Amino acid sequence: MFSTWCQRIFGALLVAGLCGAPVHAGSDSPIDSETLAKNRKANEVCFACHSPAGIAKPPRADLDMSKLADSRVEPEIFNKADHGVMDCRQCHSSKHYGAEYPHGAAGKTETSPCNECHAAKQLRLEPQFNASVHAKVEGVKEKFTCNTCHNVHVNVLALRLKDPAKIVEQDNHGCLACHNSDATFARFAPASDKMPGQKKARPDIDTIHEWLPNTKAHWKAVRCVECHTPEVAAGKMLSHEILNKEKAEKKCLTCHSADSSLKTRLYRHMVKDEQQRLGFTNSVILSNSYVIGATRHPELDRIVIGFIVLTLAGVLGHGAVRFIAALRRRKNGEKQ
Amino acid sequence: MTERIYLLPLWIRLWHWSNALLIITLSVTGFSLHFADPKLPLVEFSLAARLHQVAGIALVALYAFFVVANLVTGNWWQYIPKPPGIIERCWVQAKWYMFGIFRGEPHPYRVSEETNFNALQALSYWFIMYMVMPLMLLSGLLFLFPEFAPDRVFGFDGLLPVAVVHYLTGAVIVMFMIAHIYLGTTGTTATSMFKTMINGWHEHVGPEESRHGDRRHADRRGS
Ligand code: HEC
Ligand code: HEC
Ligand code: HEC
Ligand code: HEC
Ligand code: HEC
Ligand code: HEC
Ligand code: HEC
Ligand code: HEM
Repeated sequence: MFSTWCQRIFGALLVAGLCGAPVHAGSDSPIDSETLAKNRKANEVCFACHSPAGIAKPPRADLDMSKLADSRVEPEIFNKADHGVMDCRQCHSSKHYGAEYPHGAAGKTETSPCNECHAAKQLRLEPQFNASVHAKVEGVKEKFTCNTCHNVHVNVLALRLKDPAKIVEQDNHGCLACHNSDATFARFAPASDKMPGQKKARPDIDTIHEWLPNTKAHWKAVRCVECHTPEVAAGKMLSHEILNKEKAEKKCLTCHSADSSLKTRLYRHMVKDEQQRLGFTNSVILSNSYVIGATRHPELDRIVIGFIVLTLAGVLGHGAVRFIAALRRRKNGEKQ
Repeated sequence: MTERIYLLPLWIRLWHWSNALLIITLSVTGFSLHFADPKLPLVEFSLAARLHQVAGIALVALYAFFVVANLVTGNWWQYIPKPPGIIERCWVQAKWYMFGIFRGEPHPYRVSEETNFNALQALSYWFIMYMVMPLMLLSGLLFLFPEFAPDRVFGFDGLLPVAVVHYLTGAVIVMFMIAHIYLGTTGTTATSMFKTMINGWHEHVGPEESRHGDRRHADRRGS
């Protein structure tokens, strides 16, 4: 079982040390099966409590169960996630976390920040992140961090996730978990300018996007970031700048046309496999969604237009001959 | 003296013109949706989508009315091509469209209250109204409620067959409509059939029909 895992994560980064020593993601040595086995073994300690099984049957009687229920990590999901090869204590300091309970009081504040391991990426992303709507609003920006959207225990890189429906689900969950939940939104929302002392109310996501027909179908087939991030060059990773509502994309044809922007966004990992299956334009999109205007069949379109033109020509030709024949008949009739 | 018969009751005429209006709207907006392109001057996409949905739902309701009204009034019988000699009558009619009409020959068929369609009309109307339209409406409804469409088909999104059926039936209806409007000019005069559909009265005796029509018609009946 471990060997299949090794194959899966071949190319994954070497995760150094058990003790939370900073690693540098970006090094390309694959994680070896020994380290992986060691990490998985170490994590069993934590899963004794922090898993559905642990919550159902806690190893000790004195645990704060309501809090434990809120801190569930699913082993099957974690192990398949981007960070699933790691030991929990590479991010949750081993000074405070182990088999013993309660955990050290300072543990909460000592979670390794993303840039401890993703320094280069974060350096590149930070300007975009800082230009986002969320980094500008007073009262929001203080609480908004990378893991507000990224669930490090769960998320899988789009490239590895492959299935567009799953990518959409994961990325939209990052936004909707907050924008579709009054409780979560209230924890982040800025103060209301209308009612002093109160939080700004959450606008309903379907009402905001009323101009978009069948919003529910769209939420399942495209991501919020498709419309709420600026354009980037083809093949590039999406920008982390979340645009404000004035700059958000509202033009339907951006997606609903042969030259759909979906090619450089949601489907950017798939476009290289484009083979015009069965003659359809954008057939990689068609594997997941029928997008009016984008997923067409040029051959079929030519045939249909051809038939319609023929019908028109037939009718006009018939009419012309009828007209001329009638004129001639009238002339002959007059002669007789 | 022109002979007039009251051929088309009010409900048929109202249905016909509402149907025509909706189908023209649906064709124009459907075309705009399918060939959406920033470079083509079509109906703006979101407007087209909205109009298409409203007109589509209206057409479903109108079709339901059409079916029920046809059943209740017995008008459905008009759409059934009746033996004997259907093929022969179709052939006679087709020949007239191909040759006779140019020579100024009279209509080979006489409209009456009992049978107001010629055999070709009955066949094509029956095919369009009872074969193509249901497919078109059903695929349109599935487009509107994609949750009832299949999830996946042959590795493609399940909406693909729905879209293809919708597109092709739409194309057939557009072609029918073009031919239908043109054939509307083949009455006694170019506008007389349109007038019938407006006021309900069919004029039997145009100058030509009076010369040959009745006789031939009588011949056929006699045989
Ligand atoms: C004996 C059960 C138990 C074990 C084993 C355990 N935890 Fe916990 N953990 C809890 C409970 C209960 C809470 C929530 C209550 C609380 O915060 O006091 C918690 C809370 C947490 C939190 C939330 C922040 C905090 O400090 O409250 C983190 C992070 C955490 N645990 C990580 C770990 C890691 C990593 C391991 C494995 C090395 C681990 N835990 C092992 C029971 C356990
Ligand atoms: C890549 C770093 C990383 C790894 C690996 C990791 N965590 Fe976390 N974990 C975090 C971050 C970041 C948070 C959020 C902390 C915060 O909100 O302040 C967190 C939060 C938690 C919490 C608090 C409740 C919650 O869900 O927000 C628990 C419990 C927890 N982790 C357990 C674990 C366990 C058990 C493992 C190993 C199976 C693990 N973590 C592996 C980064 C990590
Ligand atoms: C202790 C080190 C560590 C920390 C802290 C950490 N990560 Fe990672 N992260 C990794 C490693 C190692 C991988 C590579 C796994 C692989 O390539 O399969 C990774 C992979 C990723 C990926 C997959 C894409 C990529 O670049 O390979 C994302 C996204 C990611 N991390 C986001 C985060 C975010 C967001 C945080 C902060 C909440 C964070 N990480 C914190 C170690 C860390
Ligand atoms: C507003 C939500 C949000 C925040 C905040 C956020 N991200 Fe992301 N991040 C995303 C989304 C959505 C994607 C997927 C983009 C894509 O598929 O191209 C992503 C992708 C990534 C990736 C993987 C890109 C790839 O495909 O190689 C990394 C690495 C990453 N984010 C790091 C970070 C870091 C570091 C931070 C904090 C500075 C951060 N993110 C903050 C939403 C967010
Ligand atoms: C944890 C909560 C949270 C998450 C996650 C979150 N947001 Fe927000 N978002 C907010 C809050 C709070 C505001 C501020 C509301 C305000 O100022 O009216 C906001 C504002 C916005 C705005 C409005 C800006 C404007 O012009 O008024 C947009 C657009 C937006 N978010 C998009 C997104 C997208 C897209 C994602 C996911 C990639 C996302 N948000 C994730 C909490 C969140
Ligand atoms: C098809 C493009 C598109 C998609 C997909 C999309 N949005 Fe929007 N969004 C917009 C546009 C355009 C506006 C501005 C609307 C306006 O001004 O009427 C907007 C406005 C918003 C606002 C501002 C609300 C306000 O008035 O304060 C928020 C928040 C938001 N979107 C969040 C999201 C979230 C979360 C998702 C994903 C579920 C999402 N959007 C998906 C285009 C989109
Ligand atoms: C970000 C890309 C994007 C934008 C922008 C966008 N759409 Fe869509 N739209 C899609 C995708 C993808 C689907 C396919 C949904 C599915 O698979 O069910 C879709 C489906 C639809 C459907 C068909 C839903 C059904 O009944 O099955 C309609 C209608 C539609 N869009 C209208 C619009 C209109 C109108 C606009 C502009 C106001 C718009 N879309 C903007 C991506 C987009
Ligand atoms: C003559 C009648 C009609 C024609 C010519 C027509 C044509 C079209 C065309 C060409 C498309 C674009 C689909 C694609 O690109 O594959 C379309 C979409 C669609 N049609 Fe029709 N259609 C007709 C009637 C109807 C009816 C009766 C309904 C409703 C019951 C309907 C509902 C839809 C829906 C829901 C869409 C998806 C786009 C949208 O939601 O606006 N259509 N139609």
